[in-house]
Amino acid sequence: MKMEILERDENSLRLRIGGTNAAFMNALRRIILSEVPSMAVDDVVIIENSSTIQDEFLAHRIGLMPLKTDLDTYNLPENCICKSEFGCNLCRASLILDVEAEDHTITVYSGEFKSENPATIPVSGKIPIVKLAPEQKVRLEAYARLGKGEDHARWQPVSMCAYKFRPIVKVDSKHCDLCGACVEICPKNVLLKAGNKVEIKNSDNCTLCQDCMDICKKTPKAVEVVWDENSFIFSLESTGALSPERILSEALNILDGKLKDFLEQFAGKENEK
Amino acid sequence: MNVKILNRKENELKIEIENEGHTFCNVVQKALLKDKKVDLAGYSIPHPLTANPVIYLRTKNKSKPETVLRKAVAKVQKDTKSFRAAFDNALKVYKDQATL
Ligand SMILES: [Zn+2]
Repeated sequence: MKMEILERDENSLRLRIGGTNAAFMNALRRIILSEVPSMAVDDVVIIENSSTIQDEFLAHRIGLMPLKTDLDTYNLPENCICKSEFGCNLCRASLILDVEAEDHTITVYSGEFKSENPATIPVSGKIPIVKLAPEQKVRLEAYARLGKGEDHARWQPVSMCAYKFRPIVKVDSKHCDLCGACVEICPKNVLLKAGNKVEIKNSDNCTLCQDCMDICKKTPKAVEVVWDENSFIFSLESTGALSPERILSEALNILDGKLKDFLEQFAGKENEK
Repeated sequence: MNVKILNRKENELKIEIENEGHTFCNVVQKALLKDKKVDLAGYSIPHPLTANPVIYLRTKNKSKPETVLRKAVAKVQKDTKSFRAAFDNALKVYKDQATL
């Protein structure tokens, strides 16, 4: 397997992967979307809410706020040693919101939350939660837990995770009459007219739409878009809960766990026979 | 995950996996299909609300289906291992380039 990092920053990662297959990439994608755990608020105790927004609406907004996740400290509630419905320090973090608009209208942002664990805070302090008119008040306690995307989207650690086959764009300069139509139509500006030649700028950006092939009047086509079924462009964008590298390595751990679990169970059942 | 053997014949195997889905079954099915000893391999999810897919496997030339299935799963395990190695290497190369 060959791999190259095309782009990487704090919250996103783009890889070019060669020598694998779609089934494997899809398993990773599905695990990232629905099984890699992250922290989110799933219980809100509202002590006072005199804002114009109803309690359940407010709770919903708080639930969708991505939280920085410390996977090494927290346990999934179902795996926690406390076995309690309410949770303990190892499977629950509490955040407090206590705001009041005194004499003018204010917007309450996620940054107003005070967390009992300074590592479990909203990924951004600039998420608007609620607007308060003068003398309105919100006081509440929110409990964050680890969870999985398969239970609710608020526990998805990514805002996007997708893959595509690696595009291969070819221009046959012998056939090309330099009409420029393909350069014009390409939505990703993969093709570039340079002098008396059509050049390929960045074939990895191609979406495989094949519009360039459709518009080319030549027979056979002077431009051709094909893809390599064993190479992929894999991109993922974290919500900020976990680093993109951690998300990918957690997904690999989960897949490994499934395979190991299966082999063990299968060996057990086989011996029963 | 809980594995149940539904049917076992000389060159046929049908198993049910509780609490799984396409994630696990699809990789295993594709790995099985690459094996020349496999005559037929497939899976189905009988009901979308119960996550209990059934994997069916038929082998050629009296090969033991259990061995073939175990080999296919081991193949996917090898894939995760090489993916991890390739990713660690790619990260290292990327970091080296960034510091240059
Ligand atoms: Zn606990």
